[in-house]
Amino acid sequence: MVRFENVGMRYGLGPEVLRDISFHLQPGSFHFLTGPTGAGKSSLLKLLALSHRPSRGLITLFNKEVSSLARDDLPAMRRKIGVVFQDFRLLDHLSALENVALPLKIAGAKNSQIYQHVAELLEWVGLGRQVDAKPPTLSGGEKQRVAIARAVINRPQLLIADEPTGSMDAEMGLRLMYLFQELNKIGTTVVVATHDLGLIKRFGNPVMFLKDGMLTTRKQDELPSQFSRDGG
Amino acid sequence: MMQIIGKSAELQLEKDVSTRYLPVVIAAMIFLAALAIGGLFSLSNAISDWSATLTGNLTVEIAFDPTADLDKKVTDAVELLSKTPGVAAARAIEQEETLKLLEPFLGRNAALGDLPIPRLIEVIIDEDSAIDLAALNEKLGEAVAGARLDIHRPWLDKMVLLGRSVQILAAAIMLLIGAVTVIIVIFAVRTGLIMHAEVIQVLHLIGARDQYIAEQFQNYFARLSFLGALPGLIVAIIVMFIFNFLVGSLEASMLPPLSLGVEGIIALLLLPLMVALLTRFTVRRVVLGSLERMM
Repeated sequence: MVRFENVGMRYGLGPEVLRDISFHLQPGSFHFLTGPTGAGKSSLLKLLALSHRPSRGLITLFNKEVSSLARDDLPAMRRKIGVVFQDFRLLDHLSALENVALPLKIAGAKNSQIYQHVAELLEWVGLGRQVDAKPPTLSGGEKQRVAIARAVINRPQLLIADEPTGSMDAEMGLRLMYLFQELNKIGTTVVVATHDLGLIKRFGNPVMFLKDGMLTTRKQDELPSQFSRDGG
Repeated sequence: MMQIIGKSAELQLEKDVSTRYLPVVIAAMIFLAALAIGGLFSLSNAISDWSATLTGNLTVEIAFDPTADLDKKVTDAVELLSKTPGVAAARAIEQEETLKLLEPFLGRNAALGDLPIPRLIEVIIDEDSAIDLAALNEKLGEAVAGARLDIHRPWLDKMVLLGRSVQILAAAIMLLIGAVTVIIVIFAVRTGLIMHAEVIQVLHLIGARDQYIAEQFQNYFARLSFLGALPGLIVAIIVMFIFNFLVGSLEASMLPPLSLGVEGIIALLLLPLMVALLTRFTVRRVVLGSLERMM
Protein backbone atom coordinates (compact mmCIF):
# COMPACT_ATOMS: atom_id res chain seq x y z
CA MET A 1 0.00 0.00 0.00
CA VAL A 2 2.54 2.61 1.18
CA ARG A 3 6.29 2.11 1.19
CA PHE A 4 9.00 4.65 2.02
CA GLU A 5 12.61 3.67 1.40
CA ASN A 6 15.41 5.96 2.66
CA VAL A 7 13.31 9.02 1.92
CA GLY A 8 14.73 12.48 2.52
CA MET A 9 13.02 15.81 2.03
CA ARG A 10 14.12 19.42 2.03
CA TYR A 11 12.40 22.67 1.09
CA GLY A 12 14.35 24.41 -1.64
CA LEU A 13 18.01 24.57 -0.72
CA GLY A 14 17.31 24.38 3.02
CA PRO A 15 18.39 21.61 5.41
CA GLU A 16 16.76 18.19 5.28
CA VAL A 17 13.57 18.15 7.35
CA LEU A 18 13.16 14.40 6.89
CA ARG A 19 16.07 11.98 6.82
CA ASP A 20 16.27 8.32 5.86
CA ILE A 21 12.58 7.64 6.43
CA SER A 22 11.69 4.02 5.77
CA PHE A 23 8.42 2.29 6.63
CA HIS A 24 5.70 0.13 5.14
CA LEU A 25 1.97 0.47 5.75
CA GLN A 26 -0.18 -2.60 5.07
CA PRO A 27 -3.56 -2.11 3.39
CA GLY A 28 -6.30 -1.60 5.99
CA SER A 29 -3.86 -0.65 8.78
CA PHE A 30 -4.32 2.22 11.25
CA HIS A 31 -1.26 4.19 12.36
CA PHE A 32 -0.64 7.21 14.51
CA LEU A 33 2.14 9.61 13.58
CA THR A 34 3.46 11.64 16.44
CA GLY A 35 6.48 13.59 17.58
CA PRO A 36 7.40 16.96 19.03
CA THR A 37 6.70 20.23 17.23
CA GLY A 38 9.02 20.70 14.25
CA ALA A 39 9.85 16.99 14.03
CA GLY A 40 8.60 16.83 10.41
CA LYS A 41 5.09 15.36 10.81
CA SER A 42 3.49 17.79 8.38
CA SER A 43 6.30 17.26 5.87
CA LEU A 44 5.81 13.50 6.03
CA LEU A 45 2.07 13.94 5.50
CA LYS A 46 2.79 16.18 2.48
CA LEU A 47 4.78 13.35 0.93
CA LEU A 48 1.99 10.89 1.69
CA ALA A 49 -0.62 13.22 0.17
CA LEU A 50 1.47 13.68 -3.02
CA SER A 51 1.65 17.36 -2.29
CA HIS A 52 5.45 17.42 -2.44
CA ARG A 53 8.15 15.25 -3.96
CA PRO A 54 10.94 13.72 -1.89
CA SER A 55 14.44 15.09 -2.47
CA ARG A 56 15.80 11.53 -2.29
CA GLY A 57 14.70 7.95 -1.71
CA LEU A 58 11.76 5.97 -3.08
CA ILE A 59 8.06 6.30 -2.27
CA THR A 60 5.70 3.62 -3.50
CA LEU A 61 1.97 4.28 -3.29
CA PHE A 62 -0.61 1.76 -4.48
CA ASN A 63 2.20 -0.25 -6.10
CA LYS A 64 3.46 2.69 -8.15
CA GLU A 65 6.75 4.45 -7.62
CA VAL A 66 5.87 8.13 -7.16
CA SER A 67 8.91 9.68 -8.88
CA SER A 68 8.14 7.73 -12.05
CA LEU A 69 4.59 9.09 -12.27
CA ALA A 70 3.74 11.45 -15.10
CA ARG A 71 1.99 14.68 -14.11
CA ASP A 72 -1.24 13.46 -15.73
CA ASP A 73 -1.21 10.37 -13.48
CA LEU A 74 -1.20 12.39 -10.25
CA PRO A 75 -4.91 13.39 -10.10
CA ALA A 76 -6.05 9.76 -10.35
CA MET A 77 -3.59 8.80 -7.58
CA ARG A 78 -4.69 11.69 -5.39
CA ARG A 79 -8.33 10.61 -5.70
CA LYS A 80 -7.32 7.43 -3.86
CA ILE A 81 -6.06 9.54 -0.96
CA GLY A 82 -8.25 11.52 1.43
CA VAL A 83 -6.63 14.36 3.33
CA VAL A 84 -8.01 16.07 6.47
CA PHE A 85 -6.06 19.27 7.00
CA GLN A 86 -5.33 20.67 10.42
CA ASP A 87 -6.87 24.00 9.34
CA PHE A 88 -9.71 22.27 7.43
CA ARG A 89 -9.10 24.22 4.20
CA LEU A 90 -12.78 24.38 3.37
CA LEU A 91 -13.93 26.83 0.70
CA ASP A 92 -15.81 29.48 2.65
CA HIS A 93 -18.12 30.54 -0.19
CA LEU A 94 -19.40 27.02 -0.73
CA SER A 95 -21.98 25.30 1.48
CA ALA A 96 -21.08 22.21 3.52
CA LEU A 97 -22.78 20.09 0.88
CA GLU A 98 -20.88 21.76 -1.98
CA ASN A 99 -17.57 21.43 -0.13
CA VAL A 100 -18.11 17.72 0.40
CA ALA A 101 -19.35 17.28 -3.18
CA LEU A 102 -16.25 18.92 -4.66
CA PRO A 103 -14.09 15.77 -5.08
CA LEU A 104 -16.96 14.01 -6.86
CA LYS A 105 -17.62 17.03 -9.07
CA ILE A 106 -13.94 17.22 -9.97
CA ALA A 107 -13.95 13.50 -10.75
CA GLY A 108 -16.80 14.16 -13.19
CA ALA A 109 -19.66 12.43 -11.33
CA LYS A 110 -23.24 13.28 -12.30
CA ASN A 111 -25.10 15.82 -10.15
CA SER A 112 -27.94 13.41 -9.39
CA GLN A 113 -25.48 10.87 -7.97
CA ILE A 114 -23.41 13.47 -6.16
CA TYR A 115 -26.03 15.13 -4.00
CA GLN A 116 -27.79 12.07 -2.68
CA HIS A 117 -24.47 10.50 -1.78
CA VAL A 118 -23.18 13.69 -0.14
CA ALA A 119 -26.37 14.25 1.85
CA GLU A 120 -26.14 10.69 3.22
CA LEU A 121 -22.50 11.20 4.21
CA LEU A 122 -23.23 14.49 5.96
CA GLU A 123 -26.01 12.74 7.83
CA TRP A 124 -23.50 10.06 8.86
CA VAL A 125 -21.06 12.62 10.29
CA GLY A 126 -23.94 14.29 12.15
CA LEU A 127 -24.36 17.35 9.94
CA GLY A 128 -27.63 16.40 8.26
CA ARG A 129 -29.21 19.67 9.29
CA GLN A 130 -26.35 21.88 8.18
CA VAL A 131 -25.97 20.86 4.57
CA ASP A 132 -26.56 24.42 3.35
CA ALA A 133 -24.46 26.13 6.03
CA LYS A 134 -21.32 27.95 4.91
CA PRO A 135 -18.10 27.10 6.81
CA PRO A 136 -17.79 30.50 8.55
CA THR A 137 -21.09 29.79 10.33
CA LEU A 138 -19.97 26.34 11.59
CA SER A 139 -18.11 25.54 14.80
CA GLY A 140 -14.57 24.10 14.74
CA GLY A 141 -15.85 20.57 15.28
CA GLU A 142 -18.48 20.93 12.56
CA LYS A 143 -15.91 22.25 10.12
CA GLN A 144 -13.67 19.32 10.93
CA ARG A 145 -16.49 16.89 10.19
CA VAL A 146 -17.19 18.60 6.86
CA ALA A 147 -13.46 18.29 6.09
CA ILE A 148 -13.56 14.59 6.98
CA ALA A 149 -16.66 14.04 4.84
CA ARG A 150 -14.86 15.74 1.93
CA ALA A 151 -11.82 13.53 2.50
CA VAL A 152 -13.79 10.28 2.44
CA ILE A 153 -16.48 11.04 -0.16
CA ASN A 154 -14.39 9.39 -2.89
CA ARG A 155 -13.95 6.25 -0.72
CA PRO A 156 -10.17 6.71 -0.56
CA GLN A 157 -7.83 3.78 0.01
CA LEU A 158 -5.61 5.94 2.20
CA LEU A 159 -6.88 8.54 4.68
CA ILE A 160 -4.45 11.07 6.14
CA ALA A 161 -5.46 13.38 8.99
CA ASP A 162 -3.28 16.14 10.39
CA GLU A 163 -4.15 16.94 14.02
CA PRO A 164 -7.84 16.16 13.40
CA THR A 165 -8.83 16.58 17.03
CA GLY A 166 -6.83 19.74 17.65
CA SER A 167 -9.79 22.09 17.30
CA MET A 168 -12.40 20.19 19.26
CA ASP A 169 -13.18 19.12 22.80
CA ALA A 170 -12.24 15.69 24.12
CA GLU A 171 -15.67 14.15 23.59
CA MET A 172 -15.91 15.37 19.99
CA GLY A 173 -12.31 14.19 19.44
CA LEU A 174 -13.25 10.71 20.57
CA ARG A 175 -16.31 10.62 18.35
CA LEU A 176 -14.09 11.63 15.45
CA MET A 177 -11.64 8.84 16.18
CA TYR A 178 -14.50 6.33 16.24
CA LEU A 179 -15.44 7.66 12.81
CA PHE A 180 -11.91 6.93 11.59
CA GLN A 181 -12.12 3.45 13.10
CA GLU A 182 -15.35 2.84 11.18
CA LEU A 183 -13.62 3.86 7.95
CA ASN A 184 -10.66 1.66 8.83
CA LYS A 185 -12.98 -1.29 9.36
CA ILE A 186 -14.22 -1.02 5.78
CA GLY A 187 -10.65 -1.30 4.49
CA THR A 188 -9.32 2.26 4.46
CA THR A 189 -5.69 2.65 5.53
CA VAL A 190 -5.60 5.47 8.09
CA VAL A 191 -2.69 7.66 9.22
CA VAL A 192 -3.49 10.17 11.96
CA ALA A 193 -0.87 12.73 12.93
CA THR A 194 -1.42 13.99 16.45
CA HIS A 195 0.24 15.53 19.47
CA ASP A 196 -2.37 14.03 21.75
CA LEU A 197 -0.52 11.19 23.50
CA GLY A 198 -3.60 10.42 25.57
CA LEU A 199 -5.57 9.73 22.45
CA ILE A 200 -2.82 7.48 21.07
CA LYS A 201 -2.65 5.48 24.30
CA ARG A 202 -6.42 5.14 24.43
CA PHE A 203 -6.69 3.59 20.95
CA GLY A 204 -3.55 1.47 21.04
CA ASN A 205 -2.76 1.47 17.32
CA PRO A 206 0.85 1.29 16.02
CA VAL A 207 2.76 4.55 16.44
CA MET A 208 5.32 6.14 14.09
CA PHE A 209 7.46 8.49 16.18
CA LEU A 210 9.25 11.35 14.44
CA LYS A 211 12.05 13.30 16.05
CA ASP A 212 14.52 15.62 14.33
CA GLY A 213 13.43 14.36 10.93
CA MET A 214 14.11 10.71 11.79
CA LEU A 215 11.40 8.06 12.16
CA THR A 216 11.21 5.26 14.69
CA THR A 217 8.43 2.83 15.53
CA ARG A 218 7.54 2.85 19.22
CA LYS A 219 5.33 0.78 21.41
CA GLN A 220 2.69 2.53 23.49
CA ASP A 221 4.69 2.20 26.71
CA GLU A 222 7.79 3.72 25.08
CA LEU A 223 6.08 7.02 24.36
CA PRO A 224 6.86 10.05 26.54
CA SER A 225 4.14 11.15 28.92
CA GLN A 226 4.07 14.53 27.16
CA PHE A 227 6.07 16.54 24.64
CA SER A 228 8.29 19.23 26.10
CA ARG A 229 8.68 22.62 24.40
CA ASP A 230 12.23 21.88 23.22
CA GLY A 231 11.06 18.67 21.53
CA GLY A 232 10.91 15.14 22.84
CA MET B 1 -22.02 29.90 -23.64
CA MET B 2 -22.39 30.51 -19.92
CA GLN B 3 -20.25 27.43 -19.32
CA ILE B 4 -17.53 28.90 -21.52
CA ILE B 5 -17.52 32.39 -20.06
CA GLY B 6 -19.05 31.55 -16.68
CA LYS B 7 -17.90 32.37 -13.17
CA SER B 8 -15.07 30.55 -11.46
CA ALA B 9 -16.96 28.20 -9.15
CA GLU B 10 -14.26 27.33 -6.63
CA LEU B 11 -11.63 30.02 -7.01
CA GLN B 12 -13.97 33.03 -6.78
CA LEU B 13 -11.77 35.09 -9.05
CA GLU B 14 -14.64 37.59 -9.31
CA LYS B 15 -13.72 38.88 -5.87
CA ASP B 16 -10.11 39.70 -6.80
CA VAL B 17 -9.33 43.39 -6.52
CA SER B 18 -6.34 42.88 -8.82
CA THR B 19 -8.53 42.13 -11.85
CA ARG B 20 -11.18 44.78 -11.21
CA TYR B 21 -9.66 47.31 -13.60
CA LEU B 22 -8.72 44.84 -16.32
CA PRO B 23 -11.92 45.52 -18.35
CA VAL B 24 -11.10 49.25 -18.33
CA VAL B 25 -7.61 48.57 -19.70
CA ILE B 26 -9.01 46.15 -22.28
CA ALA B 27 -11.64 48.75 -23.28
CA ALA B 28 -8.89 51.33 -23.91
CA MET B 29 -6.89 48.79 -25.92
CA ILE B 30 -9.90 47.81 -28.02
CA PHE B 31 -10.74 51.48 -28.60
CA LEU B 32 -7.26 52.04 -30.04
CA ALA B 33 -7.34 48.77 -31.98
CA ALA B 34 -10.73 49.64 -33.49
CA LEU B 35 -9.43 53.02 -34.64
CA ALA B 36 -6.36 51.32 -36.11
CA ILE B 37 -8.62 48.86 -37.95
CA GLY B 38 -10.76 51.77 -39.16
CA GLY B 39 -7.68 53.50 -40.56
CA LEU B 40 -6.29 50.29 -42.02
CA PHE B 41 -9.42 49.33 -43.96
CA SER B 42 -10.29 52.90 -44.97
CA LEU B 43 -6.84 53.37 -46.46
CA SER B 44 -7.00 50.02 -48.16
CA ASN B 45 -10.33 50.95 -49.76
CA ALA B 46 -9.06 54.41 -50.70
CA ILE B 47 -5.98 52.93 -52.39
CA SER B 48 -8.17 50.49 -54.34
CA ASP B 49 -10.43 53.36 -55.43
CA TRP B 50 -7.51 55.52 -56.54
CA SER B 51 -5.98 52.63 -58.46
CA ALA B 52 -9.28 51.70 -60.14
CA THR B 53 -10.10 55.30 -61.05
CA LEU B 54 -6.68 56.23 -62.32
CA THR B 55 -6.11 52.97 -64.17
CA GLY B 56 -9.49 53.17 -65.93
CA ASN B 57 -9.19 56.86 -66.83
CA LEU B 58 -6.22 58.18 -68.77
CA THR B 59 -5.42 61.52 -70.28
CA VAL B 60 -3.68 62.24 -73.56
CA GLU B 61 -1.84 65.52 -73.58
CA ILE B 62 -0.94 67.25 -76.86
CA ALA B 63 1.77 69.82 -76.28
CA PHE B 64 1.01 73.46 -77.20
CA ASP B 65 2.61 74.43 -80.52
CA PRO B 66 1.65 77.82 -82.02
CA THR B 67 2.82 76.72 -85.48
CA ALA B 68 0.84 73.45 -85.62
CA ASP B 69 -2.86 72.75 -86.24
CA LEU B 70 -3.78 71.53 -82.79
CA ASP B 71 -7.41 70.72 -83.74
CA LYS B 72 -6.21 68.32 -86.45
CA LYS B 73 -3.78 66.72 -84.02
CA VAL B 74 -6.63 66.21 -81.54
CA THR B 75 -8.89 64.67 -84.22
CA ASP B 76 -6.10 62.33 -85.37
CA ALA B 77 -5.34 61.26 -81.83
CA VAL B 78 -9.03 60.64 -81.00
CA GLU B 79 -9.40 58.61 -84.20
CA LEU B 80 -6.33 56.50 -83.37
CA LEU B 81 -7.42 55.93 -79.80
CA SER B 82 -11.00 55.01 -80.79
CA LYS B 83 -9.66 52.29 -83.07
CA THR B 84 -7.35 50.86 -80.41
CA PRO B 85 -8.71 47.61 -78.89
CA GLY B 86 -9.39 47.98 -75.17
CA VAL B 87 -10.23 51.68 -75.35
CA ALA B 88 -13.89 52.17 -74.48
CA ALA B 89 -14.05 55.87 -75.34
CA ALA B 90 -11.84 58.79 -76.28
CA ARG B 91 -13.21 62.33 -75.94
CA ALA B 92 -11.48 65.58 -76.73
CA ILE B 93 -11.75 68.04 -73.87
CA GLU B 94 -12.80 71.42 -75.21
CA GLN B 95 -10.58 74.46 -74.68
CA GLU B 96 -13.28 76.12 -72.51
CA GLU B 97 -13.51 73.04 -70.36
CA THR B 98 -9.71 73.02 -69.85
CA LEU B 99 -9.70 76.68 -68.97
CA LYS B 100 -12.45 76.06 -66.44
CA LEU B 101 -10.25 73.48 -64.71
CA LEU B 102 -7.60 76.18 -64.28
CA GLU B 103 -9.98 78.80 -62.92
CA PRO B 104 -9.65 77.79 -59.24
CA PHE B 105 -5.86 78.23 -59.46
CA LEU B 106 -5.50 81.27 -61.71
CA GLY B 107 -8.73 83.18 -61.11
CA ARG B 108 -11.67 83.88 -63.35
CA ASN B 109 -10.35 87.13 -64.76
CA ALA B 110 -6.94 85.88 -65.84
CA ALA B 111 -6.10 86.11 -69.52
CA LEU B 112 -6.26 82.37 -69.99
CA GLY B 113 -6.60 82.56 -73.70
CA ASP B 114 -3.01 83.76 -74.01
CA LEU B 115 -1.53 80.86 -72.10
CA PRO B 116 0.28 77.99 -73.88
CA ILE B 117 -2.19 75.40 -72.66
CA PRO B 118 -1.91 71.84 -74.01
CA ARG B 119 -4.94 70.14 -75.53
CA LEU B 120 -6.37 67.21 -73.58
CA ILE B 121 -8.19 64.01 -74.52
CA GLU B 122 -9.99 61.90 -71.92
CA VAL B 123 -9.56 58.18 -72.51
CA ILE B 124 -11.62 55.51 -70.79
CA ILE B 125 -10.22 51.99 -70.79
CA ASP B 126 -12.46 48.90 -70.97
CA GLU B 127 -12.75 47.00 -67.69
CA ASP B 128 -10.77 43.75 -67.72
CA SER B 129 -8.82 44.82 -70.81
CA ALA B 130 -5.12 43.99 -70.90
CA ILE B 131 -4.03 47.04 -72.85
CA ASP B 132 -0.29 47.78 -73.13
CA LEU B 133 -0.17 51.45 -72.16
CA ALA B 134 3.54 51.88 -72.92
CA ALA B 135 3.08 50.56 -76.47
CA LEU B 136 0.02 52.78 -76.93
CA ASN B 137 2.01 55.80 -75.75
CA GLU B 138 4.75 55.04 -78.29
CA LYS B 139 2.27 54.52 -81.12
CA LEU B 140 0.50 57.76 -80.26
CA GLY B 141 3.76 59.74 -80.19
CA GLU B 142 4.69 58.43 -83.65
CA ALA B 143 1.28 59.18 -85.17
CA VAL B 144 0.71 62.60 -83.57
CA ALA B 145 3.73 64.78 -82.88
CA GLY B 146 3.73 66.15 -79.33
CA ALA B 147 1.06 63.68 -78.06
CA ARG B 148 1.77 61.92 -74.79
CA LEU B 149 -0.29 59.46 -72.77
CA ASP B 150 -0.43 60.49 -69.13
CA ILE B 151 -0.98 57.31 -67.19
CA HIS B 152 -0.68 59.00 -63.75
CA ARG B 153 1.53 56.08 -62.68
CA PRO B 154 4.32 58.02 -60.88
CA TRP B 155 1.79 59.99 -58.82
CA LEU B 156 -0.32 56.93 -58.15
CA ASP B 157 2.76 54.92 -57.14
CA LYS B 158 3.70 57.58 -54.60
CA MET B 159 0.17 57.69 -53.19
CA VAL B 160 0.02 53.89 -52.98
CA LEU B 161 3.43 53.82 -51.26
CA LEU B 162 2.23 56.41 -48.74
CA GLY B 163 -1.00 54.50 -48.20
CA ARG B 164 0.81 51.17 -47.74
CA SER B 165 3.26 52.77 -45.26
CA VAL B 166 0.38 54.07 -43.16
CA GLN B 167 -1.24 50.63 -43.41
CA ILE B 168 1.93 48.95 -42.12
CA LEU B 169 2.04 51.49 -39.29
CA ALA B 170 -1.58 50.70 -38.41
CA ALA B 171 -0.81 46.96 -38.46
CA ALA B 172 2.22 47.57 -36.22
CA ILE B 173 -0.01 49.52 -33.81
CA MET B 174 -2.42 46.56 -33.79
CA LEU B 175 0.43 44.18 -32.96
CA LEU B 176 1.65 46.49 -30.21
CA ILE B 177 -1.86 46.67 -28.73
CA GLY B 178 -2.09 42.86 -28.85
CA ALA B 179 1.30 42.49 -27.14
CA VAL B 180 0.44 45.00 -24.40
CA THR B 181 -2.91 43.27 -23.81
CA VAL B 182 -1.16 39.90 -23.48
CA ILE B 183 1.39 41.31 -21.01
CA ILE B 184 -1.33 42.93 -18.87
CA VAL B 185 -3.29 39.68 -18.81
CA ILE B 186 -0.17 37.69 -17.85
CA PHE B 187 0.47 39.99 -14.87
CA ALA B 188 -3.15 39.75 -13.73
CA VAL B 189 -3.19 35.95 -14.02
CA ARG B 190 0.08 35.56 -12.13
CA THR B 191 -1.30 37.74 -9.33
CA GLY B 192 -4.44 35.58 -9.28
CA LEU B 193 -2.38 32.40 -9.07
CA ILE B 194 -0.47 33.75 -6.08
CA MET B 195 -3.63 34.97 -4.33
CA HIS B 196 -5.40 31.64 -4.79
CA ALA B 197 -2.42 29.34 -4.22
CA GLU B 198 -4.02 27.76 -1.14
CA VAL B 199 -7.32 26.89 -2.85
CA ILE B 200 -5.41 25.63 -5.90
CA GLN B 201 -3.42 23.33 -3.61
CA VAL B 202 -6.64 22.00 -2.06
CA LEU B 203 -8.13 21.41 -5.51
CA HIS B 204 -4.99 19.57 -6.58
CA LEU B 205 -5.01 17.39 -3.47
CA ILE B 206 -8.62 16.35 -3.97
CA GLY B 207 -7.79 15.23 -7.48
CA ALA B 208 -8.29 18.25 -9.76
CA ARG B 209 -6.43 18.20 -13.03
CA ASP B 210 -4.46 21.26 -14.13
CA GLN B 211 -6.96 21.77 -16.96
CA TYR B 212 -9.84 21.98 -14.43
CA ILE B 213 -8.09 24.84 -12.62
CA ALA B 214 -6.93 26.49 -15.85
CA GLU B 215 -10.51 26.50 -17.16
CA GLN B 216 -11.68 28.59 -14.22
CA PHE B 217 -8.98 31.17 -14.91
CA GLN B 218 -9.39 31.22 -18.69
CA ASN B 219 -13.20 31.44 -18.58
CA TYR B 220 -13.12 34.27 -16.07
CA PHE B 221 -10.45 36.30 -17.85
CA ALA B 222 -12.02 35.71 -21.28
CA ARG B 223 -15.31 37.03 -19.87
CA LEU B 224 -13.56 40.11 -18.43
CA SER B 225 -11.86 40.79 -21.76
CA PHE B 226 -15.07 40.37 -23.73
CA LEU B 227 -17.03 42.64 -21.40
CA GLY B 228 -14.23 45.23 -21.48
CA ALA B 229 -13.97 45.05 -25.27
CA LEU B 230 -17.64 45.88 -25.89
CA PRO B 231 -17.66 49.46 -24.49
CA GLY B 232 -14.25 50.11 -26.09
CA LEU B 233 -15.64 49.08 -29.48
CA ILE B 234 -18.85 51.08 -29.05
CA VAL B 235 -16.94 54.25 -28.16
CA ALA B 236 -14.61 53.73 -31.14
CA ILE B 237 -17.59 53.36 -33.51
CA ILE B 238 -19.13 56.57 -32.11
CA VAL B 239 -15.80 58.39 -32.61
CA MET B 240 -15.65 57.15 -36.22
CA PHE B 241 -19.20 58.40 -36.86
CA ILE B 242 -18.30 61.80 -35.39
CA PHE B 243 -15.15 61.92 -37.56
CA ASN B 244 -17.15 61.12 -40.70
CA PHE B 245 -19.75 63.74 -39.76
CA LEU B 246 -17.05 66.39 -39.32
CA VAL B 247 -15.33 65.41 -42.58
CA GLY B 248 -18.70 65.47 -44.38
CA SER B 249 -19.49 68.93 -43.04
CA LEU B 250 -16.25 70.37 -44.50
CA GLU B 251 -16.52 71.52 -48.11
CA ALA B 252 -13.86 70.19 -50.50
CA SER B 253 -12.14 68.45 -47.59
CA MET B 254 -8.64 67.10 -48.04
CA LEU B 255 -9.51 64.27 -45.63
CA PRO B 256 -11.47 61.30 -46.95
CA PRO B 257 -14.20 59.93 -44.63
CA LEU B 258 -13.56 56.59 -42.91
CA SER B 259 -15.00 53.87 -45.10
CA LEU B 260 -14.37 50.40 -43.74
CA GLY B 261 -16.17 48.25 -46.27
CA VAL B 262 -17.75 44.91 -45.39
CA GLU B 263 -14.43 43.30 -44.42
CA GLY B 264 -13.58 46.19 -42.12
CA ILE B 265 -16.97 46.07 -40.39
CA ILE B 266 -16.64 42.30 -39.91
CA ALA B 267 -13.11 42.76 -38.50
CA LEU B 268 -14.38 45.43 -36.15
CA LEU B 269 -17.28 43.29 -34.91
CA LEU B 270 -14.98 40.30 -34.44
CA LEU B 271 -12.62 42.35 -32.28
CA PRO B 272 -14.25 41.52 -28.87
CA LEU B 273 -14.37 37.84 -29.79
CA MET B 274 -10.75 37.89 -30.94
CA VAL B 275 -9.53 39.61 -27.75
CA ALA B 276 -11.53 37.11 -25.65
CA LEU B 277 -9.92 34.20 -27.55
CA LEU B 278 -6.45 35.77 -27.26
CA THR B 279 -6.99 36.21 -23.51
CA ARG B 280 -8.28 32.66 -23.13
CA PHE B 281 -5.28 31.23 -24.97
CA THR B 282 -2.79 33.40 -23.03
CA VAL B 283 -4.34 32.59 -19.64
CA ARG B 284 -4.38 28.86 -20.37
CA ARG B 285 -0.69 28.88 -21.31
CA VAL B 286 0.29 30.91 -18.22
CA VAL B 287 -1.79 28.87 -15.76
CA LEU B 288 -0.76 25.46 -17.11
CA GLY B 289 2.89 26.59 -17.17
CA SER B 290 2.71 27.78 -13.56
CA LEU B 291 0.83 24.70 -12.30
CA GLU B 292 3.40 22.44 -13.90
CA ARG B 293 6.00 23.91 -11.58
CA MET B 294 3.90 22.74 -8.61
CA MET B 295 3.65 19.04 -7.82
